[in-house]
Amino acid sequence: MPEAPKNLDGVIACPSCDLLHEVEDIRPGQRAKCVRCHTTLISPKADSMDRTIALSLASVMLMIGALSFPFLGMSKAGLERQASIVDLIMAFSQGWYQLLGLCVLLFVVALPMLRAGLLIYTIWPLRNGKPPLPHAKRAFALAETLTPWTMTEIFILGTVVSLIKIGGLAKVSFGTSFWLFCVLVLVVAFQNASVCRWTIWQTIKKVQP
Amino acid sequence: MISARESGLVGCHKCGTVHEPSLRECRTCGAGLRSRKPNSLQNTWAWLITGLVFYIPANMFPLLTNRVLGSDDGHTIIEGVILFYKKGDFLVATVILAASLIIPITKFLIIGFLILSIRFRWDLSAHARLVLYELVEFIGRWSMIDVFVVALMAGLIRLGAIISILPGPGSVCFALSVIFTMISAQSIDTKLIWDQTPKERK
Repeated sequence: MPEAPKNLDGVIACPSCDLLHEVEDIRPGQRAKCVRCHTTLISPKADSMDRTIALSLASVMLMIGALSFPFLGMSKAGLERQASIVDLIMAFSQGWYQLLGLCVLLFVVALPMLRAGLLIYTIWPLRNGKPPLPHAKRAFALAETLTPWTMTEIFILGTVVSLIKIGGLAKVSFGTSFWLFCVLVLVVAFQNASVCRWTIWQTIKKVQP
Repeated sequence: MISARESGLVGCHKCGTVHEPSLRECRTCGAGLRSRKPNSLQNTWAWLITGLVFYIPANMFPLLTNRVLGSDDGHTIIEGVILFYKKGDFLVATVILAASLIIPITKFLIIGFLILSIRFRWDLSAHARLVLYELVEFIGRWSMIDVFVVALMAGLIRLGAIISILPGPGSVCFALSVIFTMISAQSIDTKLIWDQTPKERK
């Protein structure tokens, strides 16, 4: 069994199981996993920062588009109605039902956008070789914490299930916003995959004043 | 193989940087440093019970009400499953059954099982328990799908007396139950799973 390490910067403790590993140079595209629990420890990617910034900006643009067009439309007995995501959030104005709108607002719109904003805030100066902006550590830590609470992909699957459940009750059609949102789901997925925690933390540590 | 705790060091839960135990704050990411999250099991229990408490009314009250030509037809989760099953819509019935009943109940059972196994040091494979934990963490968020379905249907289908779908009290309780259960799963310190079985081979 190895002795306790002397150089604490040369080791990483798996955040999931606490096992110590020696840090080696990992090339972009490679992935270092914990030998015990297989949690990904280090997974640098080529142009990781550029990619994260680009995808974050793209997700903000797509969200602006997705909010401004109708999401779904319905018709029954000659009457028609269209609803945008904003309509869905505002639809529930009484008492406890506001929580339903709040869930959509937070998990589908606000938190994904906050995460994109925090990633841009943290990574933009690093990418340009400048020192991190104030509270960059807290910003990136928050962005990491938010990841499980962004539920854009769940919302799209929920849309599909709703369509099945509405079934014969009324005729339903997709709006522009639905298709923009489908692209947004892909962009967010790539955005999540483009971040290498360890690389960002090390960069912040290296360049901080 | 040796863990940070076994070598007298503290590994940051957020970024993995290793520190001397005297430090309070991670020098890389600034997170508070603890070898193990304090009161992890108690917190998990508390959130889990809160989630369970809200899951009961979520099943007793209607999730949503269909109002067609002025007549209301509300049903709870189980009534919904039976309704679609009787209609012969087995796919929808199975989707609702899985998303609203099987997944949440399995989640409660797995989280309860995990904290019991840590608390009483059951001699179980840490790998198997990690798989269970990852399952709960992965699946947990997906229960929110029901909440979105209610929001989407009730937000879209609103043509007054001709046809409207109204949200039911069950949906609010269900949303709270999912949120509390997610927090519960996040409160588990997975490092605890490995503390008892340091010599297990992979």
